[in-house]
Amino acid sequence: MGYLEGFAVTLRKVAEGVTTRSYRGGKGGKSDIKAPKPERLHGRHVLNRYEDGMEKCIGCELCAGVCPANCIYVRGAENPPEDPQSPGERFGYVYEINYLRCIHCDLCVEACPTEAITETKLFEFSFTNRDDAVYTKDELLVDDDGLPQQLPWEDWRPGEDEHTSGWMRATSPSGKAAYEGVVGWSGELGYGVRNPEEGQSVELGTDQPGEESADG
Amino acid sequence: MTATENQGTEAVTGVPFNLNGRAVHATDGELLIEACERNGVHIPRFCYHNRMKPVGMCRMCLVEVDTGRGPALQPSCMLPVTPDMQVETESEVTKQAQDGVLEFLLTNHPLDCPVCDKGGECPLQDNAYAFGPGESRFIEEKRHYEKPIPISDLVHLDRERCILCDRCTRFASEVAGDPLIHFIDRGSQTQVNTFPDHPFSSYFSGNTVQICPVGALTAAPYRFKARPWDLEAIESTSTVDATGARVVLQSSQDELVRILGLDSDAVNWSWLSDKDRFIHEANRSENRVTEPLARVDDGLQATRWGDATAKVATALQADASRIAVIGGARLSLESQYAWAKLAKGVIGTDNVDTQLADGLPAALALGLPRATIDEVCAPGGVIVLLGPDPKEELPSLSLRIRHAVIEDGATLIEITPRATSLSDLASVRLRATPGIVGQVLVAIANDQLSADVGGVAASDLQAAATLLRGERPLSVVFGRANLAESARYTADAIGAIRSIAPDASYLPALRRGNVNGALEMGLTPGFLPGGVRNSAEVGVEHWPTTPEFQGADTEGILRAAADGNIDTLILLGADPLGDVPDAVLSASAIENVSTVIAVDSFLTDSSSKADVVLPAAMFGEADGAFLNVEGRLSPLSAKVTSPGLARPDWMIAAEVSLAMGDDLGFGTLDELRQEMSAAVASLADVDWPGLSSADDGPVLRPHRNWDLEFGKPADAPPEPKSGLRLLVDRKLWDAGTMTAESPSLVGLAEPAVLRLSPSDAVGLNLVDASHVTVEQGDESYDLPFVVDESVAPRTAWLPIRLPGFDARKLLSSGGSVNSIQARIADGLTDDDAGDGGEPTAESEDTSDGGRQ
Repeated sequence: MGYLEGFAVTLRKVAEGVTTRSYRGGKGGKSDIKAPKPERLHGRHVLNRYEDGMEKCIGCELCAGVCPANCIYVRGAENPPEDPQSPGERFGYVYEINYLRCIHCDLCVEACPTEAITETKLFEFSFTNRDDAVYTKDELLVDDDGLPQQLPWEDWRPGEDEHTSGWMRATSPSGKAAYEGVVGWSGELGYGVRNPEEGQSVELGTDQPGEESADG
Repeated sequence: MTATENQGTEAVTGVPFNLNGRAVHATDGELLIEACERNGVHIPRFCYHNRMKPVGMCRMCLVEVDTGRGPALQPSCMLPVTPDMQVETESEVTKQAQDGVLEFLLTNHPLDCPVCDKGGECPLQDNAYAFGPGESRFIEEKRHYEKPIPISDLVHLDRERCILCDRCTRFASEVAGDPLIHFIDRGSQTQVNTFPDHPFSSYFSGNTVQICPVGALTAAPYRFKARPWDLEAIESTSTVDATGARVVLQSSQDELVRILGLDSDAVNWSWLSDKDRFIHEANRSENRVTEPLARVDDGLQATRWGDATAKVATALQADASRIAVIGGARLSLESQYAWAKLAKGVIGTDNVDTQLADGLPAALALGLPRATIDEVCAPGGVIVLLGPDPKEELPSLSLRIRHAVIEDGATLIEITPRATSLSDLASVRLRATPGIVGQVLVAIANDQLSADVGGVAASDLQAAATLLRGERPLSVVFGRANLAESARYTADAIGAIRSIAPDASYLPALRRGNVNGALEMGLTPGFLPGGVRNSAEVGVEHWPTTPEFQGADTEGILRAAADGNIDTLILLGADPLGDVPDAVLSASAIENVSTVIAVDSFLTDSSSKADVVLPAAMFGEADGAFLNVEGRLSPLSAKVTSPGLARPDWMIAAEVSLAMGDDLGFGTLDELRQEMSAAVASLADVDWPGLSSADDGPVLRPHRNWDLEFGKPADAPPEPKSGLRLLVDRKLWDAGTMTAESPSLVGLAEPAVLRLSPSDAVGLNLVDASHVTVEQGDESYDLPFVVDESVAPRTAWLPIRLPGFDARKLLSSGGSVNSIQARIADGLTDDDAGDGGEPTAESEDTSDGGRQ
């Protein structure tokens, strides 16, 4: 036995062949087709809006507070009564993400109480200076169709702007299987009200839908 | 706070009781909630506040208590510990009660925590996490009210979030004495609100925001400015007034965004005035001087530090007696020492005064036996208030005095020319007309109690005499009650009190920031640091020289300057044009000085006329120490960076000295502090690094009990042949620079109002009038008036300086008591009263009739 066991592993792996997938990036490359991405890949953020165009962000700074890379800078301000930016008293007056720091951990998305910030699947955005690396609110906010803005240095592919909304959140706020099939989120600009995610393991216990979620 | 006291030795002698199976002790009469806290068991609470009386409103502090009749739930904030009480704070029953109370409080509390300013530092959030049910069973619609309603210019009320703990309302009526908010309606509609048409315009309204256990009360200036988790904090001291209220400075992104009161047992008990609390807005003002300015032709232009200090050095080559320094109360103790050393120890001038002719002789503040605030407010003492309304000038101190009289059985003798915020609490009120206060106390000292003196009834004199000569400890809070009369009358009164009660102790109620530090550091004529009188034999360690002549005070300096005898005038954050009562004199002085050097953070009336302006770091931007009204040393802390090229004042002194070819001998704050400890006897034992961590800070007790020469009391001033004697004093919200530069505070000053006695109102035939014209010389104002019974006959009471109004223009220079003429305003009837308070810029009537 001894060291021979190690060699055996090596030989067995050589025989299995290469598993590294081919990834050809760049629009000028020979093939511009890229490997499919995992459904919940963490990419560039967007700030979402409600169906009526109001911003979902209320400037609560929870994302900035939870960010382990300290890359989010948010300032809240009082909503102007004649031209409110978001429902309620407060809106995100400044919203900046520094992508030189962001590690795409998605904690901001989990912390967000209004599903304002979510992530797309775009991860190829090769800015060439530091100013471009700091995305401002104007750049992060979805456009009038509810789709992410496409900046000149970003390499967007079909499908990468799908699934960027609150739909990405867990099916129920408390993660209970009893909420399977229950819509727990608001309608969103460009998407409307999404269908709930299905397929969670059902352990129906004492919890019943509607017990705690007022907007459920 | 009792929580920080040590837990062992003292309590062993107290009341024994059983806490969660542990034998512990409470002090006599201690509430269970406090006793548990002191023994390491925190009981959740909302309504209980250690500085207010308990009410038992919120039921959050229910614990299981067995006093021998079986265990029962009782609110621990209402329950004094009794011997052998069995207390269970963690039993199932207690937990169930806490759980239930929280679920009940949350039925109507909106879940808008992400929007709420309290979110992240909210006792309701914290307690809900720690003691609450986690899930709510309440699916019905919550109670709704209009979202925040402004109950004052500074405070917003969100009634949806209110849990009816009664803290703010108790504070307003119990502590502040401004019962302007109250519960209205019943049942689930119970809400806190103001009375119709009466906003919560208390000087202390910001405290309700600090003590609100939810986000129901929020401060307008802090609204949505930051979240608790991005705030950095440091403990410091408020420099707004001389009380030295302890504060916590909180900044976000290098900007001061919030100031909270620190619960200092010896000073302010966590209470702050709104001026203390919101003045930090001035730090961010766009009008800050951020770089050195020098006069080029007729304008001030930015220059470099080196060029500016070179200019200053040139101007300081003049003969020492032709150089003068005014101001310094804004500075830290260290900066005051540095400037005192530069002026007196290097330049050698004694023309240095920190007071702007609106204070009292320095010897009174330095030489009288000093009382601490705790001693003044000690239970059962007698407090003499000889001065201005403390609420207007030293608001946090006024809360302590108020508490002492209401709760601790102190007796207040009020010797003020008009009613103050404390008048209702005073046992004896002596209302001396302007210029008479010395006579009144001399009469008491001489036992001439059978006849009225200057409008004060003989019975009041007798009552005051009994208290002053009584056995109870006597402390005197003294200040300048009337800026339109000479300070010597107050000095006479103190001289009389000294002879009546030799053992009395004194608290000088001078208002301006660190003025006590400035006096201690020798920024006053005739004194060297440490209260040492300047003379040929006395020197100061590390000082090259000391002044060889007796200098002049601010009034003398200005008079000399107006006569052309001062070449260089340095203004240390002082604005003589705005603050010296004699505005004509200060204008003429600034005009006739060849070089004015201003060390300031703003271009005030005076510094905008300066030849060189050196930008100084403000409060919160430089480390240092503060000497408060009782001689207590507390830290001033830097929390944010000063803008542009602004520097701490002591550094500016060192730079100027270097430019003059001298070296002050210190390059760091530590070196400066070491030198101060060596040079100033009263600072010899100060533990400088420990200052910032000390609970209350050391009190400097130099034990000066100087045999002050008060001289023969001045005679009563003659009755003015015609017109009214002037009583002019300060308001908290005035036209001062710091207030003017704080956007949230600038609008709080009320329009000027003339107050006069009922007999004068009749005498002037004001029955149907709305406005009165007051005039002196060429100046006149049309003012609305109020008939005030506390004002003595033939006296007119005016605020000194408000936006658009300047009573100083009505003061004539030189007189020991000022008077004005008053009559019904021409052409103003009741119909015009709507725009009242806007004084006219010029008098329409310039006839000379009836003037002095």
